[in-house]
Amino acid sequence: MKKLLFYALIIAIVVISIVLTISFFTPPKKIPEYSDEKLRELALERGLRAAPSSFDELKKLVDDNSNPMTPQKIALGFELFFDTNLSKNKKTSCASCHSFDKDIKNRGALLDTLTKNDKEVNNCAACHLQDQSGVDRFTFSQGDNFVAHPYLLNTQTILNVGFAKHFSWSGEVSSIKEQSANSLQDHYKMNLSPKEVETRIKENPKYAQKFEEVFKEGVTFENVTKAIEVYVKTLVTRGSYDIFLEGNNSAMSHEAKRGLANFINFGCKGCHNDISFGGQSIQRFPLREFAQVYDLKPNFEVIPTPKRLDSEFPFENSGGYLGKNNSHLFRVPILRNVTKTSPYFHNGAVPKIREAVDVMAKHQLGRHLTLEQIDEIVAFLRTLEGDIVDYKIKEYR
Amino acid sequence: MKTIYIKILVFVMFFTGIFQLKLLDIAWGNFKIIQALHIILSIAIILFFMAPFIYTHIEKYFFIKKVKSMEGWLLLCLFLLVTISGFYLFFIGNRGGDIFGNFSFNLHLYGSFILIFFFIYHTNKQQKPNINSQIILALLISFVPLYAQTPKLSLSEFEGKTTGYHSEDWTNSLKCKSCHSEIFEQWSNSNHKHIAGSNPYYVVMETLAGEAEGQEFRKWCMGCHNPSAVATGLGKTTHAMAGNFLSNEMFEKNAKTLSNDFKAHGNFRVEEGVSCITCHQITKADSKGNASFVIELDRKKYAFEDSTSKVGQWFNQRLINSNPTVHKESYSKPLYKESRYCASCHDEFHPQNGIKIVSTFQEWEKSPFNNPNDKSKHKSCIDCHMTNLKDDKFSPLKGTSTDGGVVKDDVKVHYFAGSNHFLAGLKSKEHEEQTLQLLRTSAKLDVAVKDNKLLVGVTNIGAGHHLPTGAADFRELWLEVSVKDKNGNVIYSSGKLKDDGNVEEGSRMFQKVFGDENSKPVGLLFWRYKTLLSDTRIPSKERRIESYEIDKGAKYPLQIVVKLNFRIYPQWVSDAVRKVYPTLLNPSVVELMKIEKEFK
Repeated sequence: MKKLLFYALIIAIVVISIVLTISFFTPPKKIPEYSDEKLRELALERGLRAAPSSFDELKKLVDDNSNPMTPQKIALGFELFFDTNLSKNKKTSCASCHSFDKDIKNRGALLDTLTKNDKEVNNCAACHLQDQSGVDRFTFSQGDNFVAHPYLLNTQTILNVGFAKHFSWSGEVSSIKEQSANSLQDHYKMNLSPKEVETRIKENPKYAQKFEEVFKEGVTFENVTKAIEVYVKTLVTRGSYDIFLEGNNSAMSHEAKRGLANFINFGCKGCHNDISFGGQSIQRFPLREFAQVYDLKPNFEVIPTPKRLDSEFPFENSGGYLGKNNSHLFRVPILRNVTKTSPYFHNGAVPKIREAVDVMAKHQLGRHLTLEQIDEIVAFLRTLEGDIVDYKIKEYR
Repeated sequence: MKTIYIKILVFVMFFTGIFQLKLLDIAWGNFKIIQALHIILSIAIILFFMAPFIYTHIEKYFFIKKVKSMEGWLLLCLFLLVTISGFYLFFIGNRGGDIFGNFSFNLHLYGSFILIFFFIYHTNKQQKPNINSQIILALLISFVPLYAQTPKLSLSEFEGKTTGYHSEDWTNSLKCKSCHSEIFEQWSNSNHKHIAGSNPYYVVMETLAGEAEGQEFRKWCMGCHNPSAVATGLGKTTHAMAGNFLSNEMFEKNAKTLSNDFKAHGNFRVEEGVSCITCHQITKADSKGNASFVIELDRKKYAFEDSTSKVGQWFNQRLINSNPTVHKESYSKPLYKESRYCASCHDEFHPQNGIKIVSTFQEWEKSPFNNPNDKSKHKSCIDCHMTNLKDDKFSPLKGTSTDGGVVKDDVKVHYFAGSNHFLAGLKSKEHEEQTLQLLRTSAKLDVAVKDNKLLVGVTNIGAGHHLPTGAADFRELWLEVSVKDKNGNVIYSSGKLKDDGNVEEGSRMFQKVFGDENSKPVGLLFWRYKTLLSDTRIPSKERRIESYEIDKGAKYPLQIVVKLNFRIYPQWVSDAVRKVYPTLLNPSVVELMKIEKEFK
């Protein structure tokens, strides 16, 4: 008996040691070291194309016959985008949440706010206008009268959405036109009925002539959304990644190139694809739910059942939003400029990009990335960061 | 159990201990593994094998066979002593605070040699020397070096790490807290901790610099203010949020946000700002300024130092405490006592045109405080800024820097008292008090009336640099004067605050005023400084005389009140910052010295 116990113990130790050492003998997936040309080829093969650098190229990619992009219409959309009259309290414009400076070349908004006494202070925008991120940087968006959305949804960026096929967090909206109509009418956003929008526009004489020039029907609610759509399509950013794709090998650091290779090989590109790196499909999140947390404190039930905490997401489920059909279906977010748009996920529960990358790898790809791999991917994501391209459309006509 | 197993196990314990000898100086990668193995194996061996063996051994030979063996009992005593000292070293440690730590260390070290000698003697006496023990010895000797070679591979990989540092290399300051709680507390409320994302003035200035000069320019600020962010590739300093609002980190005591972050994310989230590791891993520094230091994070780490589990961290702390020499050496260097170490950040120049903006170190170099020939007069940065103050005098703190460590006569306090009493004071009154006391040691006033002139002398007696120094364009030091005649009417006054909070024009200010290339004041954009509009700061040990005209017909005796006032930020700067940080308070005016005198 004693002998048996002794051997059992020895065998147990041996087995445990073998199990523990297995990981040392199975090397992690090795991402090959690509040459710059090969990497570029791989990225292009997978549709991770560069953002257009001229208006002509942009038009080829996003122009739509039902709502053609003309310089006049874009100029009209631009005025509407920044017009606070298009909200019930006359304080909110599209740019209040999708924020960037009206003059994209302006380099003095903060200094103005700090030094001029008459400036109305919107304290976050003061610093963050220069980010040109197309978001408000809040955890959850606040619309008309600063009322928070009941689902506590985080504002998505409006930049580069021209290349996307799906809009809003659930992805159920299929055009910018439709989304801007929703936003104008939504009680928690701009809170106006189509009739009120038309009245507000007609009150302003500067619009009357422009609408006549651009549209046959003049001022209608649909035409407002059409004008906004063509303007939003011109909001494109280009980063050092685009310059790399166009042939400049030194535009990206070695670390960022490794990050791109990881991005392709780990499978991130499966969903975050095309020019916009996302917005092309609706996917389930989280796909792998192995981070379930149970509350094991005694709960004085007849049959103690451990309560599952945070069962829906690998982060705090504030707002309780569950995506399309309440079934965890979300539009894949756009990764261009993602490093500027913290906090992350639909309720803004994850504040840092590295943590977001980690969550995505664990729950969508089932991978535990090393710190090095995470940092490489973040370095790559930083190369997707850039300012809004000035297409010089006014001179275009 | 066969005695051969016991022999093997005793030698395992002995040799894993021997390999830690300083004399052998084995590679660090091997050392840390052997150290951990020594402790784990010893505890396991003693609990599961030695204790039962000793019990049965005594029962068999003493109680049944009635063998009387003196050296057997001696061996047991020695074994107990070595075991107890080992347990003491592991659970309490050789931190230097008590004599027992050092005693245990020596007992454990020398006792083990005597023990092994007696052990061999004891075993060989009973039987003919057999081949077994020699085989064991030979095996162990040949086995250990073989084993020791493997971790070297990882060591060379470590050295080959050139791509930059990751979050785990920037050990979170909270990890230091577990043994250096008092120092942590001092640092956590100090201006060094709150120099980046939790400092409203800094966040606004960095953002302004990014806006005005391009986002890349932020790196100039971040080099000193946020080195961990620069090293890990962050382009800007971030601030904490509480939901949709700015967090009130500037009012938080003992780094609450950092500590919550650490609880939730461990070392995965990079700690921004000047952390413990930032200063304590600087290996080279020169006096050029603009972050001219070298931080080397590839250091000797004990086993489980990066562990994320509570058990691993607990075990790691025991390992460090039991033999802290390497830990001390890798976190403290002789360089840290020299002024040029501080100079790497406390001198500041424009990165493109080289114009000097802050020259605190250079001012010190030329001051009487820099006197390397006469040690009694030589005072380096830490002699004033890291020495405890009590009752407005330097009063070196007697105490420990490690919990339970050596009692030192002059613990270098980490309040980092300078002049910013305001931001530190939002968190801790002790910090505010330390800074105010230091400020009060800096200057002296004297007053005289001569030929209808009021003469006020201000002497920089205590500062080894100009008064004020640092961001001297954002520091206000000025004289507030009021003269009353015989009837009690105020016949002259200067240096009062206006209704809007700014110091009235014409006041005698001691400061530096920056102008741009067109000789216009630069305002908030201090890096645009090209021409010096005025410089009325007082160099070290110098006296400045300010004279005020008094009306000739004034009726004597005159009642004169002179105050030397200091304010950390001008009102217009605080007003600007408050537009972005509405909860920011107004910095108060501090009276450094006051003289009330009657002149007949």
